[in-house]
Amino acid sequence: MKVPYSWLKEFVDIDITVDELADKLVSCGFEIEGVIRMSDSIKNVVVGKILSVEKHAQSDHLSICKVDIGTETVQVVTGASNVKTGDLVPVALDGAVLPDGKTIKAGELRGVLSQGMMCSGAELNLTEDDYEGAGVYGILILKDAKAGDDINNVIGNDEVVLDVAITANRPDCNSILGIAREVAAVTGKELRLPEMSYKVNSENVSSYVAVENKAFDLCPRYMAAAVKNVKQVVSPKIIRDRLKAVGVRPINNLVDVTNYVLFEIGQPMHAFDLNNLEGRKIIVRRANEGEKITALDGKEYTLSNKDLAICDSEKPVAIAGVMGGEYSSICENTSTVILESARFARDSVRHTSRRLNLKSDSSQRFEKGIDYISQETGMKRALALFDKYGWGEVVSCFVDVIKENYADKVFTYNYNEINTIVGKEIPKQAIIDILNSLTLETTAEGDMLTTHVPNYREDIVGINDLTEEVIRMYGYDIVEPNVYSKTKGGMTPAQSRMEKLKDILVGKGAFEIVSYSFISPKAFDMMKIAADSNLRKAICLVNPLGVDFSVMRTTLSYSMVKTIAYNLTRGNKEGRLFELAKIYIPKSLPLTELPVEKYRVSVGIFGEKEDYYTLKAITDDIYAVFGINIAYERTKIDYLHPGRSACILSDGVEIGYLGEVHPDVAKEFDIDKRLYIAELDAEFIAENGVDIKPFKVISRYQGMERDLALIAPIDMPAAEILNKIQGACSDILDNLEIFDVYTGGQVGKGKKSVAVKLSFQHVSRTLTDSEVNAEIENILNTLKAYDVYLRQ
Amino acid sequence: MLEKIESIMSAAKGKISAVRELAQLNDLKVKYLGKNGEITALLKSLKDYSAEERPLVGKYINELRQKVENLILETETELSRIEKERKLAEEEIDITLSKRFLAQGGLHPITKAKNELVKAFIGLGYEVKEGPEIETGFYNFTQLNVPFDHPARDAQDTFYITDDILLRTQTSTVQARVMEVSTPPIRMVCPGKVYRSDDDATHSPMFHQMEGLVVDKGITICDLKGSLDEIAKSFFGEDTKTRLRPSYFPFTEPSVELDVSCFNCHGAGCRLCKGTGWIEVLGAGIVNPAVLKASGIDPEVYSGFAFGVGLERCAMLKYGIPDMRILFENDIRVLRQYR
Repeated sequence: MKVPYSWLKEFVDIDITVDELADKLVSCGFEIEGVIRMSDSIKNVVVGKILSVEKHAQSDHLSICKVDIGTETVQVVTGASNVKTGDLVPVALDGAVLPDGKTIKAGELRGVLSQGMMCSGAELNLTEDDYEGAGVYGILILKDAKAGDDINNVIGNDEVVLDVAITANRPDCNSILGIAREVAAVTGKELRLPEMSYKVNSENVSSYVAVENKAFDLCPRYMAAAVKNVKQVVSPKIIRDRLKAVGVRPINNLVDVTNYVLFEIGQPMHAFDLNNLEGRKIIVRRANEGEKITALDGKEYTLSNKDLAICDSEKPVAIAGVMGGEYSSICENTSTVILESARFARDSVRHTSRRLNLKSDSSQRFEKGIDYISQETGMKRALALFDKYGWGEVVSCFVDVIKENYADKVFTYNYNEINTIVGKEIPKQAIIDILNSLTLETTAEGDMLTTHVPNYREDIVGINDLTEEVIRMYGYDIVEPNVYSKTKGGMTPAQSRMEKLKDILVGKGAFEIVSYSFISPKAFDMMKIAADSNLRKAICLVNPLGVDFSVMRTTLSYSMVKTIAYNLTRGNKEGRLFELAKIYIPKSLPLTELPVEKYRVSVGIFGEKEDYYTLKAITDDIYAVFGINIAYERTKIDYLHPGRSACILSDGVEIGYLGEVHPDVAKEFDIDKRLYIAELDAEFIAENGVDIKPFKVISRYQGMERDLALIAPIDMPAAEILNKIQGACSDILDNLEIFDVYTGGQVGKGKKSVAVKLSFQHVSRTLTDSEVNAEIENILNTLKAYDVYLRQ
Repeated sequence: MLEKIESIMSAAKGKISAVRELAQLNDLKVKYLGKNGEITALLKSLKDYSAEERPLVGKYINELRQKVENLILETETELSRIEKERKLAEEEIDITLSKRFLAQGGLHPITKAKNELVKAFIGLGYEVKEGPEIETGFYNFTQLNVPFDHPARDAQDTFYITDDILLRTQTSTVQARVMEVSTPPIRMVCPGKVYRSDDDATHSPMFHQMEGLVVDKGITICDLKGSLDEIAKSFFGEDTKTRLRPSYFPFTEPSVELDVSCFNCHGAGCRLCKGTGWIEVLGAGIVNPAVLKASGIDPEVYSGFAFGVGLERCAMLKYGIPDMRILFENDIRVLRQYR
């Protein structure tokens, strides 16, 4: 919220600098988002006294002036014809900045040096109303100034505006008055209330307008007042300047007064032209489904029966709390104004504003929440302004339609309860003084305190809130740190295994990526996923940030391929990546209960040196480290190469897959290289991983190695060959691995040569040749049945 | 005889000293000491001598044999040594060349920040809890004291799936779930992904928070500061100063924000801290009694404090990353800086 310093000073004396004030506001709970110095918009423009004016030799309409700017005399060429010797004018010097952002440089005009530029009122963003002479077509002639003065001080552009962040629990501070209360409390000064008295005539407002409320739940309080014989004029400078400082454009006094009260008191108000209120009635009701209204922005809106409307006897004349209607608004002929000051339920205003996609300063203020007291304060202030400036005759009395009996809240408590929450001793008197300075009237009887909380502090509902009021003013620097430990803490074994899984991948040279949980609906098509695949049964967001972030992913594969594609376009030709994240599986669509969330880990590798076997080496080792026995089987996954993909099984249950990405899919991502991905069930690993495997005794005796060159059918998987060999051996087989596979040439069609290295060892003695030979014979006999022979 | 011995000796000496390769030496070994070698022949010829002469002659021949053997051995040793050195010299390589990369991978900076913080809290006796990312309005708002008409419930800030199922906007949902089923003392942290409708240099629609909760008897604001100070120091450095500032969250009352002294300029004022000397790091406060009550914990008996920190923010501050979006691009050139 923007708080102009001069406006604030009307309600509280401030004898500290702006920066010191900003610090104090921060210390009591209001962050300062910025300090705007209006004079920053005009830089290096000074008052100059014209000493002489000469015609320019090369040009009819240019004049060369010698100007005294206090520190020196400069030469300025101007095209204006209204300047003469002795005039005081604004001179923008070399490097000056003007409100429209233009910078001025010294230079030559038709061959003559000009060290600056004289300014017109318009160039300084001034109208005739702002400064006499500013509307003139020509240079602004100044009064009450001397050569060398900063122009900002002369034209009154010296306002400083604090941009204060108001937390959501203090809607009462969304006004100059609200902030002034805080400033008074934190600087120890007196708060001055705004002028709220005014003369009234002898009539009664009830002869002007009647108000009927049919929706107290949405409008707990509605006040109306009448002002007759209104004059429409330009608002006084002080009002215009202040509205500009808070970012509102002044229009005329009748519009401006409602805005002024909104920012000063925090109460949104609206002005109706009585002449255009059919039946001289105001009915507060829910709109009828389909009722239309043309608002002040000129657009037509269709209301629903959920929207609150301010209506006359026939039709809606305002969208309550959001925007007034065009028909009943102030126009040239308006002679009697009906002022509205109401409390509208914030939820209702918010829904209507969102639904109609229509926002205003008023709707934003209502959405923050308003109390019951502001309606009266705002109304009185508005009427006081009408009276002060003679804008009309105020009709006596208000219409005040209210059901709720709002009253101050009273709390009685022992002052020690506050200290118990803080953990430090704050003296009783200090507590009382602080609460009083915040208009929370507090009295004491022994240790018991009684505090009256005025209605505009709806946020105070209990002892914790009172504690906060005390400690934020007293200062958090009295809080001393306490440390203690009573619980055990730590991660669960499953959580630790997840971390270990990440460490294993890091050790394999992979980098962890973090990608968004939401993906594009295009993902499924890009990954060539079948139309009836379960993967497509995914949760969609109703209001995503964009369609590319609208589906909660059911696989990590798309994000991994996408990240690899991104890296390739960035010139990273190789890499290993992994991600540990959740997938979201709905139990049914549309969602009627929370979905199942499962952790998966995806691995992606790419680069000239990488291939399927590298990725398999990674998955092999992951499960080996965790002591989980697995098997690989050919699989068909839509986005993987059918000949280079496998699913990983544990006891027949699928716990993951890996493979080369299908070239068609790679093409979708504009990748012309091979890439390999795996996706594993991380929860399976976390739940079944073995942390400590039983110790394997190491033999102290020599073992024996044998190599076998086997001829096998070309499509017999390596795993099968190894399984058969293993099955044919006793437990002296210590290790076996395939170290070469060879096809073509002498091997024969439909066959391949497989070289196997076997290691034999006995745990407690040396093996004999005959024992090992017997094993080999067993192996070869077994393999014969599967058409696998020793190579001759 | 003696002459013969002399001549063999000098011939052998000459030949052996001329040898440049081990193979040649072997030939000489055979020539003199082999089955049909010259010295062996001499030994064989001993039988031609008389019994009295044999000992002396034998002695001379053996001396010869010994000398030649020694000579051969010495030469062999020397030649081997030379050969070894030659080989080593030949195997010399450019030791400054980098031919291979055995690259170490790395964890993501967000994970690193999380791990560091979690470790610090575990050290203070905290447990690590998790919860669903797709949540109900009940745990995301109602149990956290966010009233029905609060703008935070707005579709503007929150991603919705149905009217009451949404993506959680803070990890306090886990705190609410834990409090519902636990009796104090509770000490927990809950890191995880959260989602809000925001996307610019310092905001992302998906980001990571770590929230913490302590519920016990007699928990005070001083206890809160104690834990937070420990964390700030362990994460940002032992000489980090902290300060509390009043603030507002629906979940806590009183509420504060914790600033740490700018580790870049140490409080002097710089761009990182926008000239103030302080950097805002996390939000915290005493758990609102209404929240305890809603979770079935008696606020008359127990009190608690809670805090929340943005992990991206921590990572960005600590590692000097200027734009949050960099953290989600996953460019290897960035990731490899954090091994």
